[in-house]
Amino acid sequence: MRHEPKRPRGRRIDWAGYAMLLPSYTIYFVFTLLPLCCTIVYSLTDFDGFSAMNFVGLSNFSRLLRDGIFLRAAQNTLVYALFTILPPIAIGLLLAVTVNGRLLFNRFCRAAFYLPYVVSMVAAATVWYWMYDPSSGLFNMILSALGLEPRNWLFEPGTALACVIVMSIWKIVGYNMIIYLAGLQSIPGELYEAAKIDGAGGVQRFLKITVPLLRSTTFFLFVMACISSLNVFEQVSVMTGGGPANATTTIVHQIYQAAFQQYEMGYASAMAVLLVAVTMLITLLNFRYGNAADAADM
Amino acid sequence: MNNIWNRLGFLNAREFCSYLLRSAVILLLALCTLLPLAMMVLTSLKTGSEVSGMGFRLLPASPRFQNYVEVLTGSNWPLYILNSVIVTVLTTVISLVFNLLAGYAFARLRFPLRKPLFYSVLLGLMVPMQVNLVPVFILIKSVPLIGGNNLLGQGGTGAINTLLGIMLPSLAGAFGIFLARQFYLGFPRALDEAAKMDGAGAWRIFASIYLPLSKPLLASLGVIKITTVWNDYLWPLVITYSEGVRTVQLALGLYKDAMVRWELLMAAATIVVLPLAVVFLCAQRFFVEGIVTSGIKE
Repeated sequence: MRHEPKRPRGRRIDWAGYAMLLPSYTIYFVFTLLPLCCTIVYSLTDFDGFSAMNFVGLSNFSRLLRDGIFLRAAQNTLVYALFTILPPIAIGLLLAVTVNGRLLFNRFCRAAFYLPYVVSMVAAATVWYWMYDPSSGLFNMILSALGLEPRNWLFEPGTALACVIVMSIWKIVGYNMIIYLAGLQSIPGELYEAAKIDGAGGVQRFLKITVPLLRSTTFFLFVMACISSLNVFEQVSVMTGGGPANATTTIVHQIYQAAFQQYEMGYASAMAVLLVAVTMLITLLNFRYGNAADAADM
Repeated sequence: MNNIWNRLGFLNAREFCSYLLRSAVILLLALCTLLPLAMMVLTSLKTGSEVSGMGFRLLPASPRFQNYVEVLTGSNWPLYILNSVIVTVLTTVISLVFNLLAGYAFARLRFPLRKPLFYSVLLGLMVPMQVNLVPVFILIKSVPLIGGNNLLGQGGTGAINTLLGIMLPSLAGAFGIFLARQFYLGFPRALDEAAKMDGAGAWRIFASIYLPLSKPLLASLGVIKITTVWNDYLWPLVITYSEGVRTVQLALGLYKDAMVRWELLMAAATIVVLPLAVVFLCAQRFFVEGIVTSGIKE
């Protein structure tokens, strides 16, 4: 046997690694990382997508702060996020704990709660658009059957955003339930037995065992919900188009309008920079204070 | 004492009643959750006068499949379905190959810059595609040698308004790479050692040992990718404008705006939802596992 110099394990370089990374990393770099840098550069210009761009400093950002419609969009997005982050997480947890126990039709119920998540947002928004329809929709039928005044739902500034929020909660709750169900499987049953023997009631067991031990799941759902709620677009675009009177327009809806309807790509990029900054800030804060090591093994 | 409650698996009558009560409440909630989707399907089988006429009935008098024929023959729906199928299948297959290779390289191979490259992938988990719309649009416009572009990607429209343009940005992504790496990290290292003794290189080890063991990963990543690509609305909306490359989600959105009859709109929505719902019902286990492995630490 030929004598080879002993090298510590792992010093050999696997050149194949670069070849294996090449296709996916190229796509990832070109369509995620590079664009992030481009967005930042565009946000400092008057880019319109066609002609040469001029550097305009921070004027896009100062314009944002004076743009009433954008401020309305930011406010709408925050209200939307407020109602579509925590309530669905709480409902999802309660559902998961309930369907985790013994129930009639358990499998059917789980599938029923989960199905809206699989349905495309456009299809879901279309169906709910019809249910909110003032003349032939389900909700007004129920109201008139109860002898109440019909509403204009999506066509009324006061109720439009709430209607979009209710639909979005309906769509996401099942996803939260499934993730929590998986988390519940990792809690050892003996903990509950021991607590029972110590005389802890159902509510106490839920608050003292289930909730704390599902912390990393909650953390994960919270981060994901923050990202998706701050970037809401499809349901707004399909159900209301941002109206009535900008009552439901959101930040991404404004980005879409500015970039692809008015071709103000520099201005749209400024909105995008603001949005990604807020998204990253929230994610990092979550990791800092939400005990990241628990949630994702990085 | 062995009474009837014990034989049914309950402590006493009180526990049995609470079981029934819980079952009833959850079943009611599940039916309410299903109601919008059930109404979508049922309405798609009604006649126009049943939908707009007075008096509400859940079930159609007799199922009218003519609505589906009308939708499918009335406009180019077969083409939209074909476009969506092509985009979904190609994107899913290619992204699976790319992401698995990258995940394996990050998990098992040693090469300089592996760590920084991986951290740069993690960064992408925090960047939603919505904030990159403008630069990715510009990049797709600048794909060289397509759509009248020269080698430098100038002069034409590039891959705008093509199926390729819809697919390119999602052929690989931070999420898929991350998930594949996490999956392969769970493999015992001893697997490779034997193969290495036999002089097998990284490619052969991946193809002959890792790939055959990747079925759960392929199933969950595949199901997630199929769902997101089939359901995507915003990106096709941005990157296409003509009918020849329209996907089903875009078509449904436009169909809704065209203010057609409700029963036809619901038939179109059902057509858009049905393929995924069938996949979901057949592969429910993989859906759930996919969603769960994507959310829970490995």
